Amino acid sequence: MIELKRISKSFGRHRVLQDISLSVKTGEVVVILGPSGSGKTTLLRCVNYLEKPASGEIAIGDFKMDCSQAKRGDILRLRRKTAMVFQQYNLFRHKTALENVMEALLVVKKMPAAEARSRSVALLEKVGLGGKLDEYPSRLSGGQQQRVGIARALALEPEVILFDEPTSALDPELVGEVLEVIRDIAREGITMIVVTHEMGFARDVANRVVFMDGGVVVEEGTPDDVFQHPQEERTKQFLRRITPEANWVI
Amino acid sequence: MGAPFEIGYVFSFLPKLLETLGVTLLIVAGSLLTGIVAGFLVALPRMYKIPVLRTLSGLYLSFFRGTPILIQLFLFYYGLPELLKPLGFDLSRAPVLFFVILAYGLHTGAYAAEMIRASVEAVDRGQVEAAYASGMTSYRAFSRIVLPQALAIAVPVFSNLVIALLKDTSLAFTLGVMEMTGKAQTLGTLTQHFFETYIALALIYLVISFTLEKVLLAAEQRLKRHEAREEKAGRSFKLRRKGSYRAVLADIDAGKGGRL
Repeated sequence: MIELKRISKSFGRHRVLQDISLSVKTGEVVVILGPSGSGKTTLLRCVNYLEKPASGEIAIGDFKMDCSQAKRGDILRLRRKTAMVFQQYNLFRHKTALENVMEALLVVKKMPAAEARSRSVALLEKVGLGGKLDEYPSRLSGGQQQRVGIARALALEPEVILFDEPTSALDPELVGEVLEVIRDIAREGITMIVVTHEMGFARDVANRVVFMDGGVVVEEGTPDDVFQHPQEERTKQFLRRITPEANWVI
Repeated sequence: MGAPFEIGYVFSFLPKLLETLGVTLLIVAGSLLTGIVAGFLVALPRMYKIPVLRTLSGLYLSFFRGTPILIQLFLFYYGLPELLKPLGFDLSRAPVLFFVILAYGLHTGAYAAEMIRASVEAVDRGQVEAAYASGMTSYRAFSRIVLPQALAIAVPVFSNLVIALLKDTSLAFTLGVMEMTGKAQTLGTLTQHFFETYIALALIYLVISFTLEKVLLAAEQRLKRHEAREEKAGRSFKLRRKGSYRAVLADIDAGKGGRL
């Protein structure tokens, strides 16, 4: 269970997030949609404190913190309950695929090396990279790098995985392989919050869709509700822009 | 202009100059050590934007990068004892080498500080974010993720720095230190074979610089082994007069394919 309450954040005078509240149940897949500049990535990055919210409350499981008086230890605890998959993959460049997945297990979880290794190998095999264990990121394709990124996040067994536009930097022909892995994870009941522009994917995996614009949640509901029967004018406009085919059919 | 040139002197001077190689290397090693420590101390306030200290660091950099090393040597040698005398420190009996290493060390520190700052800042911000997102403390993120990558970036600059320092130490003779250049002067004056002495001296500096360069290049390649290896850059850029353009094209076709 993840609970964001009244999260606010400004960059200079621009209010990026205005009193946003969002709750995600265990095992739920929430997809955040919205035009660029709507604050969706910022919101996601507030959950693990890569962006510092000005005010608000974040609760994950039994842990709760007030953002206006966050201490270093709180932030660390929060981050250890989450994991993130980045748009630019952000694999550790000087470490092999295997070392990337093992790193936090060794350093953060203090897991014995043998155990960390076998878990990492198993996960990399699961995402289809059993043959690339010892390759450095620079020798992997974007799709392969992102799958390592997903394995790295999974290995930590976080309470929630945050996906920040995981396919936006990929060549079109590589998007499928990454979405497939994420879809599998979603089916296994792992809690996730996904920011994406892939509408078909959103429709397919989301238990709930949240539409954001201008730093507020405009509308939320099941994928059917939001995609088929949007209530708000802004949502309708956005969907028309992003799926022009819908217009041709009508 | 001294005695007529005799190549034999070059060889007989070599071992005599090498006797003082130890002093030169001592200055280099001592200054490098001082320089790296000073470099870190000066770079940190600039990287973390600590007020006041940051300004002081800026002043330090301006002074040591903006004045000739020779003048810095004199300032330290003649000035420091005067400055510290009122504070109760008597440096009048301190060995010359102390001043020399201090001056070269702080001089190197200015360049080391910029090297450290630039290399750390060159590491992609996303690397730190990934480390934080997986729950690492800022110390762990720095030591396990940023530092190893920054080191690889720093080596070429470091290489220049060490070689520049090696050559700069030749100015220590102006304070009467018997390092290699000082020794060469003495030998020249004694025998009047100036040209031969300086040929021998240049040879020694050259060999050391060359060796340092190669060693550090090897270190760089080792630290950068995670970068994708580039295709063998053996293709020549000379206009090929033999064979047809078709043959050339066929050659290129055969070479490509596969990944980087």
